[in-house]
Amino acid sequence: MRNLAFLGAGSLLLALGALAVVPRTRPVQAAQSASDTLPAWKLAAGDTANLKGPKQPVFFRHDIHSGVNKMTCQYCHYSVAESSEPGIPTMATCMGCHLIIGGSDSSHKVEIKKVRDAWNAKQPIEWVRIHSVARHAHFPHMRHIKALGPNACQTCHGDVARMPQVFKVNNINNMGFCITCHVERKISRDCTACHY
Amino acid sequence: MSDETFPEGIDRRRFLTVLGVTGAGAAAMSGCSTDKVEKLVPYLVQSDDQIPGIPTWYASTCTECGAGCGLHVKTREARAIKLEGNPAHPVNAGKLCAHGQSALQGLYNPGRIKGPMARQADGSFKPVTWDEAIALLGQKLQGAGGKLGVISGAGRGTFSDLLSAWTQAQGGRVVRYQAFDFEPVRAANQQVFGTSEVPAYDFAAARYILSFGTDFLQDFVSPVEHQRGFAESHGFNDGQMAKHVMLAPRLSLTGMNADEWVTLRPGSEAAIALAMTNVILAERTGNPADANGLRGALAAWTPEQAQEASGVGAEVIRRLAREFVSAQPSLAVAGGISTQHRGAIQLCAAVNLLNYVAGNVGRTVKFGADLDTGDGYGAVESLLRTMEQGQLAVAIVHDANPAYSLPKSGGFAAKFAKVPFKVSTSLYLDETSQLCDLLLPGHHALERWDDLRPRKGATGLLQPVMEPVFQTMATGDVLLKAAQKVGGAVAALPAVAAPSYEAHLKAQWLTVVGTDEAWRAALQRGGIYGDSPVTSVRLAATAANVTYTAPAFDGEAGPEGFYFAPVPSVMGDGRFANRPWMLELSDPVTKITWHSWVEMHPETARRIDVREGEIVQLTSPHGTLSVPVYITPGIHPEVLAVPLGMGHTAFGDFATGRGVNALDLLDAKDGQGFLPYQATRVTLARTREFKQVAKTEGTTRQLGRGIADAMTLAQAKAGMTPALARKAEGHEEHEINTELEVEAIEGFRESQLEQRKRGAYAVEGQPMWGMVIDLARCTGCSACVTACYAENNIAWVGEEAILKGREMTWMRIERYWEGGEDGDPLEARVVPVLCQHCDNAPCEPVCPVYAAYHTPDGLNGQVYNRCVGTRYCGNNCPYKVRYFNWSAYNKTAFPEPLNLGLNPDVTVRGRGVMEKCTFCIQRIRGAQHTARLEDRELRDGDVVTACAQACPSNAITFGNMKDPASRVAQAQQSPRGYHVLEDLNVRPAVTYLAKVLHRAEG
Repeated sequence: MRNLAFLGAGSLLLALGALAVVPRTRPVQAAQSASDTLPAWKLAAGDTANLKGPKQPVFFRHDIHSGVNKMTCQYCHYSVAESSEPGIPTMATCMGCHLIIGGSDSSHKVEIKKVRDAWNAKQPIEWVRIHSVARHAHFPHMRHIKALGPNACQTCHGDVARMPQVFKVNNINNMGFCITCHVERKISRDCTACHY
Repeated sequence: MSDETFPEGIDRRRFLTVLGVTGAGAAAMSGCSTDKVEKLVPYLVQSDDQIPGIPTWYASTCTECGAGCGLHVKTREARAIKLEGNPAHPVNAGKLCAHGQSALQGLYNPGRIKGPMARQADGSFKPVTWDEAIALLGQKLQGAGGKLGVISGAGRGTFSDLLSAWTQAQGGRVVRYQAFDFEPVRAANQQVFGTSEVPAYDFAAARYILSFGTDFLQDFVSPVEHQRGFAESHGFNDGQMAKHVMLAPRLSLTGMNADEWVTLRPGSEAAIALAMTNVILAERTGNPADANGLRGALAAWTPEQAQEASGVGAEVIRRLAREFVSAQPSLAVAGGISTQHRGAIQLCAAVNLLNYVAGNVGRTVKFGADLDTGDGYGAVESLLRTMEQGQLAVAIVHDANPAYSLPKSGGFAAKFAKVPFKVSTSLYLDETSQLCDLLLPGHHALERWDDLRPRKGATGLLQPVMEPVFQTMATGDVLLKAAQKVGGAVAALPAVAAPSYEAHLKAQWLTVVGTDEAWRAALQRGGIYGDSPVTSVRLAATAANVTYTAPAFDGEAGPEGFYFAPVPSVMGDGRFANRPWMLELSDPVTKITWHSWVEMHPETARRIDVREGEIVQLTSPHGTLSVPVYITPGIHPEVLAVPLGMGHTAFGDFATGRGVNALDLLDAKDGQGFLPYQATRVTLARTREFKQVAKTEGTTRQLGRGIADAMTLAQAKAGMTPALARKAEGHEEHEINTELEVEAIEGFRESQLEQRKRGAYAVEGQPMWGMVIDLARCTGCSACVTACYAENNIAWVGEEAILKGREMTWMRIERYWEGGEDGDPLEARVVPVLCQHCDNAPCEPVCPVYAAYHTPDGLNGQVYNRCVGTRYCGNNCPYKVRYFNWSAYNKTAFPEPLNLGLNPDVTVRGRGVMEKCTFCIQRIRGAQHTARLEDRELRDGDVVTACAQACPSNAITFGNMKDPASRVAQAQQSPRGYHVLEDLNVRPAVTYLAKVLHRAEG
């Protein structure tokens, strides 16, 4: 059980989000309609029920951070190029900006206040995990970034830059999803490349 | 499937039926994950030295025995997950024994005390806060008025200095206690050389090694260092190897590695040493010259007299003496628990003379390093007397368990009970802490700041590699805080001004290293390492008084009385008995796990008509114990051996009530300043009750199958292959196939070679992983076994499962006996057996689901999530290296918090899958990832398997066989190379190099 070592880790980072980067020839699925019709920042922060994907404790807007503000993925997911784990941003990373940026309207302010309150209370925000590879498979993020470049995340994760609330675009738990790409790119299909 | 369980109400077989018939299981199958919501919890602030998914290594120092080996601790996400040796350390040079590896299970032991506790009026322990606990300690110390006694097992270092100063400032007294101490060695050195130092033994330089019963590879002074040196000199290098002779009544791990085992009557070793010294002095001029002065004193000790005392032939003694002195330098070793009878000081003194006249002192026996030892048993006894007389108000026990490790006949518990207030800093609720009034559980060595000075030239630092698992406190901090409560002289100590023990330690170090930079450099390196000084010693005036008198034994003499030999085993002095890795690790000699046994010679067993597994009752004047019989040729017929370290009455669920405590039969009277372990005779009574012995040994003989091959030194020098050597010995050709079969195999081989040029195996640029194991170096110490458990998340299965043959030791050490019949000398062969990663693997074609298959880089892969558990592969494996996971070990073998030590890079296997050695594929893939990120090819040495990394003998080489420059490819070229069960044409990737025997000439 690959992740077992973390389960008792209490307040320590469970940095196992699967931020992967295999580009595929199949067109990336379109992001959801709300953000297609509205400018990202117009979307009210409370309107998450209609959005795909699980509701998070804080309505963190990938579409604003990554889409509008054009932050690179690796600003927050800092270890993706060197480690099998992509890295979940620390609360300190959030506060690096949000110490100053308080939000442009009331719905944003509400969410940013949640982050500041959590920081003041020294309580990390517990995000709901969306991407999780089965524990008997090993997915080295850094190899995929090395091969495909630093902006290839959307290959597996979809166009996160246009998602107000992240949802699973591809069934990354399905081995066929991995294999299709490995076949197309003539990459090892050996079982023990991932399973050990 | 790895770790998922099946939904309730549907068992595995039912699941497979549904899947097979209707395909309805497909939905349940996809993803293999539950719908449980997982949370991602970020750090508040990024730690400087932790990147998720990348291990962080810290240098530290091992505290499992007194040797003080250097450590590299691998942590992942701030949890220690693996211990390896520190390559820069002069003692262990990157290697680590099984005990050191198992420190992880001490850290994550479920039996640890979770926080401070105080005894209540009703006798129970109640958790208290640290403030309350320290206030209570301070108050009691204040009221003690100097009547304070401390028993400490801590090694020499800043902590023990502080403890001494702290105790003395309060008018108390510290005894530094080690259960396995070296009092006879020190007393003998005082007598012969005028120094009570324990010397360092240089096995690597010795050309001839003579052990007088000392099990120097397992439990004497510095086992890893000895192991390294022994493999260096006794391994076969360029046609040279040292000879090793063992004089002992029992074949220990060290004895199994002897070229010649000379069995003798217990207690008579000194007579032989004196006779040998006499022979040497009589036949040649002593070197150094002052040795000649001994001639007169020793002239009376003739080999004939020694023969009478020991039962060893006078001619053998003469021959050994001549061999010993003509090999330069040689090394004779004496001391340790295995020969601690009442003549132990005489023995060590006689061996000192032997080394001196052969000119070994200063060359292989090196004084000057001032190795750390305890204060000796005499000091313990004197402290116990003060307890008995009610002279102590407060007793503190630190890092020691005397209630267990002292014989019950000494009455420790009763004496200890006379102390009104007893404090323990033990990490575990063991026999001693159970008797205490206040429990102040300390940090584990991996959780605290500390240092150790095991010898001059090697000072090791310890640093916390992670947050403490429980609410414990470093005992150094407890001392400082308590001192402030006590006030007076102890509060005035300069150390007490330090805000914490860490600050005190650093301040101490700064006085030595000078700058902050140097301190950090030392911390990063693991300490200050250098060469130990060597001082020359000369014979003292008392040296000529060395003599031999047959030592006295308690208990019945005559044909009904057996010599009782409590022997150190995997459990050490008992401190390892709460660790499942150690309980499951087969004893290197008997291959028994999880319980105690008594070793008996087959002749004795025939005489008194007992069979293996019969429980016999052993009675000495001091106690009785019942233990099952194990029959082995490796013991003198008049001796019965029982392993030490088991039979705990407390010390956590793993240790409690398991086996017997051999100390129960011993006399605790000291007399000469040491505990006489080997001075008891016992009588034996049959019970007619039986217990199946939980051993991992199959057949004890090789039956001509050539599994652990060996050849003589002459044959090895002549460059013979094992097959030729067998032929030269007059054995039949080792061919089990008929002529027709051989022809078929040859044809098959050719077609295989053709096949290799096509298909999946013909991938260019792929390595071909292989291993070479040099049996001339392997001693069977089993460090590799525990390293494999730690690296690969291997589940321990327990005694019941081992009785069914269901152990899961991916790497195991097989032990076979040779000879021992019809006057042939008994020899042991050990061979590490792991998956052979056969090119032509019999397991692969029989797997119906392709879970067992061959990878392009030459591994025999095992895909857990494909495996459906038919066990065909295991049945078809000629090496028995595939292990079926019979139970939900992923749920039961790692109870909290042992699960924190799991390696996140390796799948934890659940019930119903086959598992086996992967050649540490996670390390191979990891090295490939690193190489790719650095835009380079893999280099030889990038991948080191856990077993090869740990092996103190450097017997294992791993690498890419396709690269002709690699060490593994070079080692394979040795004429000594062979494959186990080669006739089967399975083409293993593991090559063994035959053991080389340095037998007696003629």
